[in-house]
Amino acid sequence: MAVVEVEQVTRVYQEKGMPPAHALRGVSLQIEQGEFMALAGPSGSGKTTLLNLIGGLDAATSGEVRVGGQALSGLSRKELADLRRDRIGFVFQSYNLVPVLTAAENAGYVLELQGVGSAERRARVKAVFDRIGLAQFLDARPLKMSGGQQQRVAVARAIVSAPAVVLADEPTANLDQATGAALMDLMRELNKERGITFIFSTHDPMVLSRADRVVRLVDGEIVTAPS
Amino acid sequence: MSGPLSLGWRNIWRNRRRTLISMSAIGVGLLLVIFYSGMVGGMIGEAKNQLDDAGMGHVEVFASGYRLRREVGRTMPDVRAQLHLPPGAQVGTRVLARGLATSARGNEPVQVFGVEWAEEAQLSAHLRKLTSGALPAAGDDRGVLIGEPLAERLALKVGSKVRLMVQRADNEMGADLFRVRGVYHSIAPAIGQRQVYVSAASARALIGIEGAAAHQVVVQLEDPAQADAVAGGLRAALGDRVEVLTWAELLPVLKRMEALTDNVVFAMAFFVYLLVGLGVLNTMLMSVLERTREFGVLMALGTRPSRIIQVVLAESFWIATLSVVLGSVLGSLLTWQFSRTGLRVNPAESLQLGGMIISTLVKTRFNPLDILEATAFVYAMALVVGLYPASRITRLQPAEALRRT
Ligand SMILES: Nc1ncnc2c1ncn2[C@@H]1O[C@H](COP(=O)(O)OP(=O)(O)OP(=O)(O)O)[C@@H](O)[C@H]1O
Ligand SMILES: [Mg+2]
Repeated sequence: MAVVEVEQVTRVYQEKGMPPAHALRGVSLQIEQGEFMALAGPSGSGKTTLLNLIGGLDAATSGEVRVGGQALSGLSRKELADLRRDRIGFVFQSYNLVPVLTAAENAGYVLELQGVGSAERRARVKAVFDRIGLAQFLDARPLKMSGGQQQRVAVARAIVSAPAVVLADEPTANLDQATGAALMDLMRELNKERGITFIFSTHDPMVLSRADRVVRLVDGEIVTAPS
Repeated sequence: MSGPLSLGWRNIWRNRRRTLISMSAIGVGLLLVIFYSGMVGGMIGEAKNQLDDAGMGHVEVFASGYRLRREVGRTMPDVRAQLHLPPGAQVGTRVLARGLATSARGNEPVQVFGVEWAEEAQLSAHLRKLTSGALPAAGDDRGVLIGEPLAERLALKVGSKVRLMVQRADNEMGADLFRVRGVYHSIAPAIGQRQVYVSAASARALIGIEGAAAHQVVVQLEDPAQADAVAGGLRAALGDRVEVLTWAELLPVLKRMEALTDNVVFAMAFFVYLLVGLGVLNTMLMSVLERTREFGVLMALGTRPSRIIQVVLAESFWIATLSVVLGSVLGSLLTWQFSRTGLRVNPAESLQLGGMIISTLVKTRFNPLDILEATAFVYAMALVVGLYPASRITRLQPAEALRRT
């Protein structure tokens, strides 16, 4: 079953005094449960826009996005927030973490929103940190951690609540090659172990080479049809 | 713990200096409002409770018709037996006359108060503050008490002779020689210059009235709020022979000031908080908007808009709470300190306003209710100051918030 369905989605940015920007021009896409999929394309091709629409962070101008069968159009801000909390994990390019929270608090943030008690939260975060090699960083502040470690915390936060999909917008763009590759390998392993769907955007051939499937966007349109 | 309150608490310390400045601004505003309420409250409260600086009563009874032209012939009999007063009330009877005091140096217009010494000493603060001499003894029909300014103008001191001349009830002039027994100090120069005190008996002899006749009965109450009830009771008991007036009628200025005070304090608080609030709003707005991206991340993770608002409100709540602690502690200390020592607000000892004498040594009134009110104001301000920046964030789509750096 497709965990994400994108149907004829367009997104037109209309800013005052500017010509309308057609960021997406009728994109359709199906993503199956457990896929490890990359969105590729040059800068400005619409990768971030598409990920935002899938994650309910933005509203499509036309068309429909469904996550786990749930159509996003017509949901209120609050309903979208709850949907993200329960089914979608996010990893951004940088500044993912809340600096006043410790690594463990950052990673447990979604669990707290879900109402998971603090002891269980801590236990689940610790299990993930052990798994991804962050065991000694539970109580560290993000600003004291390296970029690669911070991205791992962001990955931990995205997967600890066992979402259906993790959306990662250029997760390795601010990391050096080796660190980026290690992060990709980690996500790949978590994808295999836990069956979590990963959708990420990237320019990076190293990242693309690790994807099961690559969807290429140019000027807001898919050019390499999905298989 | 990363609930809104905890997150808000940590967020306010991200820019320690900014928080301390906001906190000081609100704290000082609160301190000002608390102290000002205490001062105005103390000033009015004192003027109302302690009419003895002016030797006035919360209720005064006059012989019917006397007040109109102050004719000494219009007297009333001794009514003291008919007065039913609440406990703690102090009563005094006065025989009044206007005339001239003459010494070797010259003469000065005066108001002669014929009093029972013990009673009058309770009613008039200045009779308890003699700079020289003593109250005349009972039965001393030649003794007179004068104020410092008059003593100076007529070159009188204890033991000096002074002639008092007044218009008698039969419209003739009456005069007699008195001896200064004491000189008093009043905080109001007008009193010290005009009012001279002799025994009631010698005043009656001077103006030629009989028995226990008098012109005025002065009643001071422990609780000025009882004035209307007491006055009503006296009117019923004494009927047409007398005219009964309350402090509100005798001192309409004081009554109006009392009504005005609450509004004045409110307006002052409003403007202080408006100014402080605008400053803090600006700071809050800056501090929230520069974290737009971070709020975008929180929204992306599934934080509901209402919770985003809670996080921002928690920040203004904590700043308000710190300010309240700071401002109310300092404000209370200051108000409490000056409620004991008093604060001289003018080089003169007193201000006279529409017959009212206000001591310029203001003893602030320490009223916990004032502090509660001022605190409520701060939290109301914090709510506004938090809601606006919060709404600027929740108005954004998460995607937009994430694009901001
Ligand atoms: N909020 C916005 N307002 C106006 N135009 C926008 C906005 N967001 C994106 N765009 C435009 O839409 C197009 C697609 O942008 P998008 O960010 O999705 O591209 P991208 O593929 O993620 O690029 P990059 O690789 O640089 O991140 C671009 O032309 C961009 O300028
Ligand atoms: Mg992008």
